[in-house]
Amino acid sequence: MQVTLQTLVGGLTLGAIYALVALGFSLVYRTMGLVNFAHGQVAMIGAFTMSTFYMTAKLPFVLAIGIAVVVTAVLGLVIERVLRPLEGKDFDLMLIGTIGFGVMLEALAVVVWGATGRAVPSPLHTAPLSVAGLKIQTYSLLVLVVALVTTAMLVGFLHRTRVGAAMQAVAMDPEAATSVGIHVGRSNAIAFAIGAGLAALAGGLAGPMLYVNATLGSTIGIKGFAAAILGGFGNITGAIVGGLGIGVLDAFAAGRFGGYSDLVVFLLFAVLIMVRPTGIFGERTVNRA
Amino acid sequence: MSTDTDRAVAAGTLQVQNLGVRYGGVTAVEGSSFEVAPGECVGIIGANGAGKTSTLKALMGLAPRTADALRLGEVDLARVKARHVVRHGIGYVPEGRHVFGGLSVRTNLELGAHSRRWDDQAKATLEEVYTLFPVLRDMRERLAGALSGGQQQMLAIGRALMSRPRLLLLDEPSMGLSPKLVGEVLDVLQVLRGRGLAMLLVEQNAWLTFEATERCLVMQNGEVVMTGRSADLRHDPAVRRLYLGL
Repeated sequence: MQVTLQTLVGGLTLGAIYALVALGFSLVYRTMGLVNFAHGQVAMIGAFTMSTFYMTAKLPFVLAIGIAVVVTAVLGLVIERVLRPLEGKDFDLMLIGTIGFGVMLEALAVVVWGATGRAVPSPLHTAPLSVAGLKIQTYSLLVLVVALVTTAMLVGFLHRTRVGAAMQAVAMDPEAATSVGIHVGRSNAIAFAIGAGLAALAGGLAGPMLYVNATLGSTIGIKGFAAAILGGFGNITGAIVGGLGIGVLDAFAAGRFGGYSDLVVFLLFAVLIMVRPTGIFGERTVNRA
Repeated sequence: MSTDTDRAVAAGTLQVQNLGVRYGGVTAVEGSSFEVAPGECVGIIGANGAGKTSTLKALMGLAPRTADALRLGEVDLARVKARHVVRHGIGYVPEGRHVFGGLSVRTNLELGAHSRRWDDQAKATLEEVYTLFPVLRDMRERLAGALSGGQQQMLAIGRALMSRPRLLLLDEPSMGLSPKLVGEVLDVLQVLRGRGLAMLLVEQNAWLTFEATERCLVMQNGEVVMTGRSADLRHDPAVRRLYLGL
């Protein structure tokens, strides 16, 4: 029981990271109908940027993550701007374009930060909390709280602000949105920037938990993607639930199957998706191809 | 709605000369010319695929178009981006309503005013829309997608009115509605007409068009084949045979 709960806590923490990645995937998808295959690599760039400012420039952890979020948000804007001419013309090319950006970013990371990667020390040095015999790392708590607060802020932005409402309108009906005067391109750009910022937040938070190297993007990218699909692609709540679900699944599989854990996680994922193709909170999906 | 002075809107005549709409190799509209004067209500009738919807989309900049002239008063609409058309006083009620189903009725209406500042005047417009469609006030916190077809139509019209247009483009507002609801739509159009709002109404329901408009264009295969006073066209044997099924 104790071990089970301990694994659960670890799974939820990692799951919070996946959830943040999934949020970015879903936000861009629901706004543009586009899967940004460079999303994981953007998270990786975020992790490296954070590590540079935190470890090399010796800035506080929070500030380093903040800088990483801003840097990658700009990166997101650049990606969207380069791909924009393809919107509504050739959707397949746009998808391939995101894959291209992913490959490029990974290569760029090797050039800038080297191929070996780096371990990032935890910013919190307090002893683990003991709750009912469980040891909970304070950093785990921090990650969970940040993920929850971020989600709440995103939901608030989408539902309580004019820009957020306009973005949702674009997601639902780009043509009707245009006719009331909404700038669809700008809305897409904002979605991309926020998505990239979320990726950097995920990457930055993952830094002290996982080893930061150029392939970090594929690792958390694919899990985050699976999380988004499991929750119901495009659904904000689904991204969180899917992320935590994949994280927990991951943790238990790692304990039981060791090196085969990814295989088990994705087999189970495949079965779940076969049973419920729309995901847990599956809703109407955008199709603008 | 016609008395506002908050926006520099050219309350001019809509002039369309030799309009063409082509999707790839398919011609939807060719050589169509017409005018809509300020405060005038004009209908476009014609069979399915005659180019009615494409004509409205072309005016909104939502379809690829060519024209010798496409003007609203002093404004050259041919040079206006689709998202800016609404700023020149044109409101659009698309075919099939196209409300933002996952957002509340109130948010849908607020988005209708996206091109303007959300100020006291915009709030006053919202009140006007609620007065015109009391059902929307009652349902304002509901998701638009949960409304009935008739309510969604009212919402689509209300959303277009939120921009305080001078010219309203309506595409098939009667589509899928019961005869009673079609009557309600007509009542609303009559009220708007009474306020001096110009309208371009595309309809398959010829009865509604003749009731709501002064003049009508008859389109066939992408061309305007006939124009005339609605009262005359109503009794024209050719029109009756073609579009009223009589």
